[in-house]
Amino acid sequence: MPLWAPKRQTRFGARERHHELYFDKLSAILRRDLLTAIRHRSGFVVTLVGLFTELTAFYYLSRAIGPGFRPDGVAYFPFLLVGTGLYTFFVMSAQAFLSSVQEAQQTGTLEVLMTTSTAPAELIILSSISAFAGSLTNLVVYIAAGAAIFRAAMHANFLSCLVMLFFSLAIALALGIFAATFQVAFQKGSALVWLLGSGLWLLSGATFPVQSLPGPLVTIARAIPFTYAIDGMRAALLEGRPIAEMASTVLGLALFVAILLPLAFLSLSLSLRRARQFGTLSFY
Amino acid sequence: MFNWVGRERTGETVALNNVSFAAGGGEVVALLGPNGSGKTSTLKLISTMLLADAGAVRVGGFDARREGKKVRRQVGIAVATERSFFPRLSARENLEFFAALDEVPRRERTGRVEEVLRETGLEEQAGTLAMKFSSGMYQRLGLARALVKRPAVLLLDEPTRSLDAAATVHFWVTIRRLARQNTTVFIATHNFAEAAAVASRALLLHRGELLTDRSVTAREDAARPAEIAEELRALYFRLTGEPMTSGAVAGESVIGESLIGESVTGLGAGFENAALGAKATDKIRRAGAAS
Repeated sequence: MPLWAPKRQTRFGARERHHELYFDKLSAILRRDLLTAIRHRSGFVVTLVGLFTELTAFYYLSRAIGPGFRPDGVAYFPFLLVGTGLYTFFVMSAQAFLSSVQEAQQTGTLEVLMTTSTAPAELIILSSISAFAGSLTNLVVYIAAGAAIFRAAMHANFLSCLVMLFFSLAIALALGIFAATFQVAFQKGSALVWLLGSGLWLLSGATFPVQSLPGPLVTIARAIPFTYAIDGMRAALLEGRPIAEMASTVLGLALFVAILLPLAFLSLSLSLRRARQFGTLSFY
Repeated sequence: MFNWVGRERTGETVALNNVSFAAGGGEVVALLGPNGSGKTSTLKLISTMLLADAGAVRVGGFDARREGKKVRRQVGIAVATERSFFPRLSARENLEFFAALDEVPRRERTGRVEEVLRETGLEEQAGTLAMKFSSGMYQRLGLARALVKRPAVLLLDEPTRSLDAAATVHFWVTIRRLARQNTTVFIATHNFAEAAAVASRALLLHRGELLTDRSVTAREDAARPAEIAEELRALYFRLTGEPMTSGAVAGESVIGESLIGESVTGLGAGFENAALGAKATDKIRRAGAAS
């Protein structure tokens, strides 16, 4: 059986080749996660049941509170629908990144993956994309189900929705990378996600308007990107506000993304390097 | 020359101290030493899984710290961790996945995967989910994964630990063939018989230090491995000052004994059991880099 004559050096210089390789790797990862999901259907069913149960609970909560409560001038159920939908999206995305690293540590694949020709940081981000896409799908199904089954009133401006979705994705990406960084650096990613989940529930305006909070907490709420994303999405999806009228929200979100994303990439890269230096890559 | 200091919560452990060696194309280098001697750490440093605290690791002229990606393109590693695969993917799907991440061109991928499945005797289990594999099958799959990128440098950590007799012999034949095709192979083992059977050089490691770098010249001579193994064993005990033991010592006898039988069957040469003593390992406290 002929084997091969190994090459001492290989060159993959061209930009086109780089893009081709990138999408090739992404498709391999998506295929892996799709096959795993298909062979592990119960997880999908449980998520779907959980989603509809949550939606039903919020519907009856809004009915119990009554039609008189109209935060930001909209009915409470659509308000809750968008707020909790985005809240779940942010937390699930962070959890997805975290799980991808934790599972790789526990199964022993992380160290091996780090020896492939794919850069470590690129690898973690690519590995999380499927789960990230899953949380985005959840968000869409959640809001669509709320509108179709529970008749949540919507007056969407699609361009504004797309812009808000883009910024929400970018923020969720940064958040997820921070969670992965915490896991690699301190093996405490779960604690960060838990803190994030509780903090967002209180401060992001997911379930009630942030103006109801005491002054100092309102200041904190206005200093985190999630509040802007949720407010912006509500305005775009429920009120049909055009993007030109949302300049301050868009500017605020753009600023957060410009700061958080590079910081997240840098911190992940440094934490991976540190883990390889100290031999803690597979610690969990 | 490179050092690696493993950090533990209770302090630091010097896992490798001023270890220095070079290997050329076609060499099969056995890293010999007891558990905790620094064999696995050495392989991990070459693969860029770990980064050296001091000194440099260079592969094919590229520095592992500054040019990690270029180094990784040339290095394939089969780790001792058995379950480093995606359990709900088949053997073939796992290999295709890792081949993609290793930038094996799409048009060559299927052919290469089938080639390494054949080479490692996993053709019949190619469609079986990895979670249903036995230890030996995982080990073969690990070797297949390391080979699929056609590495210039192949790193193997205790590669025959869970293999049966026939698979062990087949593995040794494969290693020799790869070496003839100019692949540099590093094998971490604590078994002198295995080193004598396949290696052209042996590096004896003890407590993170390189004791000696010895040529093993009679690799192809089926009559000599037993003598070479015995020489290596005697040399090791002389250099370390560890008490000489007859045959295998507690904790390592299973591996040693199984290899003896396999050697007799497969190569027509009887190997005396030459596993290293476990006693030395007790004195070295290690974290994640334990061999």
